Amino acid sequence: MRKQFMIIILVLICVISANAQKFITKTGHIKFYSDAPLEKIEAHNRQVNSALDLSTGGFVFKVLMKSFEFQKALMQEHFNENYVESDKFPSATFVGTLTNYKDVNPAKEGTYNANVEGKLTLHGITRDIKEKGTFEVKQGKLFGTAKFNLLVADYNITIPGNVGKNISKTIEVTVNITLDKADK
Amino acid sequence: MKTWVKIVLGLIVIGIIALFLVYKFVYNKQHPDYENIEASYTLNAQDLYQAYRSDRDAASAKYNGKMIALTGNLSKIEAADSLVTAVFVFSQGDFGDEGIRCTMLPKFNTEAGKLQPDGEVKVKGYCTGFNETDVILEKCSIINQ
Repeated sequence: MRKQFMIIILVLICVISANAQKFITKTGHIKFYSDAPLEKIEAHNRQVNSALDLSTGGFVFKVLMKSFEFQKALMQEHFNENYVESDKFPSATFVGTLTNYKDVNPAKEGTYNANVEGKLTLHGITRDIKEKGTFEVKQGKLFGTAKFNLLVADYNITIPGNVGKNISKTIEVTVNITLDKADK
Repeated sequence: MKTWVKIVLGLIVIGIIALFLVYKFVYNKQHPDYENIEASYTLNAQDLYQAYRSDRDAASAKYNGKMIALTGNLSKIEAADSLVTAVFVFSQGDFGDEGIRCTMLPKFNTEAGKLQPDGEVKVKGYCTGFNETDVILEKCSIINQ
């Protein structure tokens, strides 16, 4: 009986410590930016789900495409209806790993490099990506930032010739997340 | 002035007016007036959440991209940066509270901030979908009872 009790306590300690390593947000920010000869376009999504498990390095993002907001209503319509086809592919996901997760110490304030790799699914196409960013640990939170480029052609997104000078073939993606402890 | 000159000048003026109208009403048209768009669906908050939980594809086809009016018991108000979000919580998961998150139009931020948890509220917003944990409504307004 005493042995069983000790096992339960040990399991609980493991679960609690695992939870203590999990950080989440539901209000992450992702910006798309296109710099084409005739027009600069940006879109913002401030409803991004993200979770990072510092005990395994597991790192995920879930992004609803209809939550991207453009300055011009017409561009937002074209983005949803013609380019990312958000009725057919309502979300983009990233499932991967913070490969250097052991370097990030959430108990020690400072700025840490973040090496992230995994599978990005956008417009129904899944591709391996490998990007770098940073995490700043401050007041128990993890402030993550990253900036990288995506080729629209890699995700079967076709830019019609008549707007070829309005939309860049390379989209700059900026990620800003503030991750809180999941057990908070 | 010769007739052909008048015709050419007239065509140029019509062309300029047409270009201006295309720029103003097509290329540079305004975003919808979300506050005053009529809701496509009116339902209980928990029913909307359960619709996505039980059949995400069917609910996405029906509700994504639609203006929805919801009635439900408010769980909490969250404020981050300039965003104020009314949250209806219906379950718990890896991300903590799960339910419906309604991000307010800026003009409703103050009014939303005064809403009391556990009180019944009616909000209207543009549904962008279900992200595995929550149904997301954006550009929300508070509907006066």
